Amino acid sequence: MKPTQARPAVKLGLILVALVAALAVTPSATQATPAYARQTGVSCQACHTVFPELTPFGRKFKLNAYVFTNVKQLAPVSEQAQRTLALSEIPPVAIQLQGSNTMLARALPDSGLTKELSQKNSTEFPQALSLFYTGKIADELGAFLQLTWNPSSNSVGIDNSDLRFANHASFAAEETPDLIYGLTLNNNPTSQDVWNSTPAWGYPFIVTNVGVPPVAKALLDGQLAQASAGFGAYVYLFDHLYIEASGYRSAQTSFTNATTGGPGPLDSTAPSARISSPVAPYWRVAWEQAWGSHSLEVGTYGIWAETHPPGIGESGPKNTFTDAALDGQYQFITDDHTFSLAATWIHEARKFDNITLGFSTTGTRDEILYAAGTPVLGSAKGRPDTQGAILEIDFLPWLNTKLGAQYTMYGKFNGGTRNYDGFGRRASDNNTLFLFVWTSF
Amino acid sequence: MNAKLLVAGIATLALSAASAHAADNRAALELIRKECSSCHGPRGISVSPMFPNLAGQQAPYLEAQLRAFRDHSRADPHAQAYMWGMAAQLTDDTVKDIAAYFASQPPARGTAADPAEVAAGKKIYENGITAQNVPPCQSCHTPTAGGNGPFPRLAGQHRRYLEKQLEVFAANLRANEIMHANAVNLTALQISQLAAFLSSQ
Ligand code: HEC
Ligand code: HEC
Repeated sequence: MKPTQARPAVKLGLILVALVAALAVTPSATQATPAYARQTGVSCQACHTVFPELTPFGRKFKLNAYVFTNVKQLAPVSEQAQRTLALSEIPPVAIQLQGSNTMLARALPDSGLTKELSQKNSTEFPQALSLFYTGKIADELGAFLQLTWNPSSNSVGIDNSDLRFANHASFAAEETPDLIYGLTLNNNPTSQDVWNSTPAWGYPFIVTNVGVPPVAKALLDGQLAQASAGFGAYVYLFDHLYIEASGYRSAQTSFTNATTGGPGPLDSTAPSARISSPVAPYWRVAWEQAWGSHSLEVGTYGIWAETHPPGIGESGPKNTFTDAALDGQYQFITDDHTFSLAATWIHEARKFDNITLGFSTTGTRDEILYAAGTPVLGSAKGRPDTQGAILEIDFLPWLNTKLGAQYTMYGKFNGGTRNYDGFGRRASDNNTLFLFVWTSF
Repeated sequence: MNAKLLVAGIATLALSAASAHAADNRAALELIRKECSSCHGPRGISVSPMFPNLAGQQAPYLEAQLRAFRDHSRADPHAQAYMWGMAAQLTDDTVKDIAAYFASQPPARGTAADPAEVAAGKKIYENGITAQNVPPCQSCHTPTAGGNGPFPRLAGQHRRYLEKQLEVFAANLRANEIMHANAVNLTALQISQLAAFLSSQ
């Protein structure tokens, strides 16, 4: 671990483009709806095009801290006529169920089985089962809390969670929309965002648990999901301009579970990256313009973070990440048709303290980051480049139930096309057909 | 002396009533700014044609609609999906205050449409179509289409919203005997022409 001079920054670009066109076959039952719908009395389509993508009203609902309610409230008042509580009579809970079947173009090698017998088809039912508490907590306080059981790891964990406070300030001129300001406490950078062009709630909205994941992903693309805690403040001005500043941090490496003495949830053995600086600043600026049935958003977001790579202790080398991203989203929403396009481009600059962590530039294989010498998951060239496209078709027999077919095609995988892992696997062998059902109620 | 006292008494009564009402009105204003404005715009002029403009609408009509959403008697698909929930917890006082607020806002200015369509729509609006049993719309909705009491303002409304309403009246999805009779004999082209004319006013 002898630190050498810092390597030149390594760059990683990630482009995600999503296109969602929905031909709404008006569903018959409009009131079969989970917690937010129960709370607002408004059908899913007010907030979602095809869930979880948000409509302009859905974005407002989130910016306003999920508090808007149309159900009876338990609202005792103090002697000074102040409300001391504002609880919905029914708790805003809901269940989400995902089941899927995944087919890989070519089976994964299995040392114990011949090629013909090794598995290329896996069914997961459920793929994930979640419990939501999503809704108002008090007059200006609301939550999106998700607890998920993941059968593939047989673990129950906190999924994307967001606790928010929001309020309004009015301008003297009545035609000026209110300024919305708020605070958010969440566990995944971009999960607080209201546009679907950022990673946490971006396309693809659901992915297989059992496909072959490419070796590299930008830090902001889910690497800190549920492994960090962030606190931030935002304003939304004139119904156009969104500005947010947040800070993320992870727990101490030495953190152990007090009751079991085992590793804690954010411990160094955890598979995800950990922020080692006291706080990683996250920023977000976006402009939204709406006209007629159209709305367009352009924005930027990013994070600066020092991290310890997974499996490395507190005293070990650090990576410095600067992720700067551009994003845009266009939506066209009418009674009968919805069309949306979302794109993001994340530019990542990494700086490593120690030469053993370098990759592509020197061709040094990195056993920790890129698992060179590993079949399927590794990269023979030690390069992270992956290119491809994901196509998805969804059918919603009811507004709260989605049947989907998703096909992921790779042109390049972990830096190679024909033999990317050095063990004869082609990029296209990882093409994946993923059929799923996703419902919440 | 007595008379003076009485006058003073009435004045204070009126004052306290006024301030009590002002407090209620604040609740309605807050609701409008925080919730209704997300779809209908801060002063009742909306961006998306899925959401009707409310600015300058007739107060009695607005009250009737909000009550109809609340008691589910206006039951076209969009009313159910969007407005039943929104109106569910409104009190009669809030309904009045909301209606008064939107009625007092300056209405949306019309958006230009194809002159030929506008002219055709204007003709139907003013004269009706005798052969199809369609009465002149202006007899109820007034010559300027500004509306009157229970007859809603149509001028400056979103074109797509107007078309949609005539369709749901004709299909009896929005139950209203008068408007059903008026809309059921209109062709799709005539509906489009009427909406072009009205939205351009
Ligand atoms: C999520 C979007 C949304 C919100 C929020 C919303 N509305 Fe609506 N509103 C609609 C839609 C859509 C319609 C058209 C319903 C239809 O086609 O039957 C409508 C119709 C109306 C109408 C009938 C207008 C007419 O010309 O007949 C009134 C009145 C109204 N809304 C008042 C309100 C009030 C008051 C609030 C706030 C408490 C509110 N709305 C909040 C979507 C919304
Ligand atoms: C006899 C009176 C009468 C005539 C004639 C009439 N209307 Fe109406 N119209 C009404 C009433 C009353 C309503 C309110 C219905 C309700 O309360 O749901 C209405 C509602 C409407 C609405 C819905 C407005 C909104 O904001 O949702 C439209 C659109 C409309 N009329 C168009 C027309 C057109 C076009 C014509 C001519 C072809 C016409 N009306 C003729 C009485 C009339």
